[in-house]
Amino acid sequence: MKEIDARGLACPAPVLRTKAAVEQEDTNTVKVVVDNEASQQNVKRFLESQGFETSLEKNGNEFFITGTCNKAPQPQPEGDTQADAEQKKIMVMCTTDRIGFGDDDLGLKLMISFIGTLKEMDPDLWRLVLVNNGVKLTIDGSEVLQDLKELEDRGIMILVCGTCLDHFNLLEKKRVGETTNMLDIVTSMQLADKVINI
Amino acid sequence: MEKADDAGVYKISEELAIIQTVDYFTPIVDDAYSFGQIAAANALSDIYAMGGVPKTAMNLVGFPLKQMEISILRQVIQGGLDKLKEADVVLLGGHSVEDSEMKYGLSVTGFVHPEKVLTKKNLKSGDLLVLTKPLGTGVINTAIKGGMASEAIIKNVTRMMAELNRAAAEVMKQFSVHACTDITGYGLLGHLAEMVEDSGMALRLESRKIPILPEAMDYAGMGMMPAGAFKNKEFRLHMIEFSSEIDPLIQDILFDPQTSGGLLICVKREQADDLVNKLIEEGVRESKIVGEVISNPAEKIFVG
Repeated sequence: MKEIDARGLACPAPVLRTKAAVEQEDTNTVKVVVDNEASQQNVKRFLESQGFETSLEKNGNEFFITGTCNKAPQPQPEGDTQADAEQKKIMVMCTTDRIGFGDDDLGLKLMISFIGTLKEMDPDLWRLVLVNNGVKLTIDGSEVLQDLKELEDRGIMILVCGTCLDHFNLLEKKRVGETTNMLDIVTSMQLADKVINI
Repeated sequence: MEKADDAGVYKISEELAIIQTVDYFTPIVDDAYSFGQIAAANALSDIYAMGGVPKTAMNLVGFPLKQMEISILRQVIQGGLDKLKEADVVLLGGHSVEDSEMKYGLSVTGFVHPEKVLTKKNLKSGDLLVLTKPLGTGVINTAIKGGMASEAIIKNVTRMMAELNRAAAEVMKQFSVHACTDITGYGLLGHLAEMVEDSGMALRLESRKIPILPEAMDYAGMGMMPAGAFKNKEFRLHMIEFSSEIDPLIQDILFDPQTSGGLLICVKREQADDLVNKLIEEGVRESKIVGEVISNPAEKIFVG
């Protein structure tokens, strides 16, 4: 049994101490003492979210929360360090602003739909790399500009090939993503768990 | 003003009144530039909530010169300045002191027509309540402090807190709005309690319609509720009646203290749908009708 004295600590510190304790192996029972209602509620919720059964005792201004683990911990929500570690890193590389060969109008329609749907890959989508004609997706007037900005807001890194922008004379017109070089692109390929080429 | 409101109003002539407000706080995000932007958006918000147009501002700075690089302060102030530019507000000056902890904020002055001042009072029976930003920034800021929030969520919530309430305020002026406030430290229910107090009315909220950041629910379930939410709840719970099926987590999030939260607009019933559509059209995409004013002298908030 682990005992944690979290008196005098403000949120979220009592939960963080409890979290550190239960993440160690072989912790089946944990007893936490706090001295305010907010910490008591938060510690209790945290333990319950980790599959602990809790009981509460109050003594004056002090609350004693006892947690007993009798089942496997529930999966933690996205964003927690543990979940981050389990995420795959998918890199998508677009070498064109059209999907497939044949009809150009159809190819463009497919690309718009593809970029718009890419967010479904979140949280595994890690980087989107745009080279050759692909860089045209990032400039003024591109129909996927909004979707790309949304991906960026979700924390997905968008790398846009500088040589390609320069070649098409579009360096000034890029509206989303970071201008990048071949070394960054090659390094991204090496770090990624999976590279999808379009 | 007879009652405390979002800011102070002083009438200069029949056509012009000035609104003055001041707001500052300690850093809530790690990025200095973003903190400056958020502090400025938050300070400007009181002017927007009162139906005014912010015009001038002064910086207020507390900075631990011995512990922090001065370049950090420059970034904070640049963030604030860029937000002021976006709002067409002129920075006139400011004052700084050496402090044990970094603090930044602004005093802002705005213009308003004396007859167009919007206060928290003046609720009319049948009015609908519109909220323009989702709730949950307090929970997420606590998760950020605890090192539990992912980069993507930090980025998203930072962008939301730095967003000016300007577009919402401009759209609101085209409708018959009876009262308005901005949602900040007291949480949604705390601010609504201020509105309903002494109004002779009551409010009914539909919890399912209230926009809440999904990650805030996850983190709240993991014990990341800020202490302020519990204080807000303790202070106002006697004015609130929750229907029994409402998840305790949602009850708490309705008290979650917001940083640079959205506007809560009390609008004539027939115009509410048009107001929301127009807000969404102007980029205030999360705007939702969340409740109504009911003719009931209880001065309570019924949450269903």
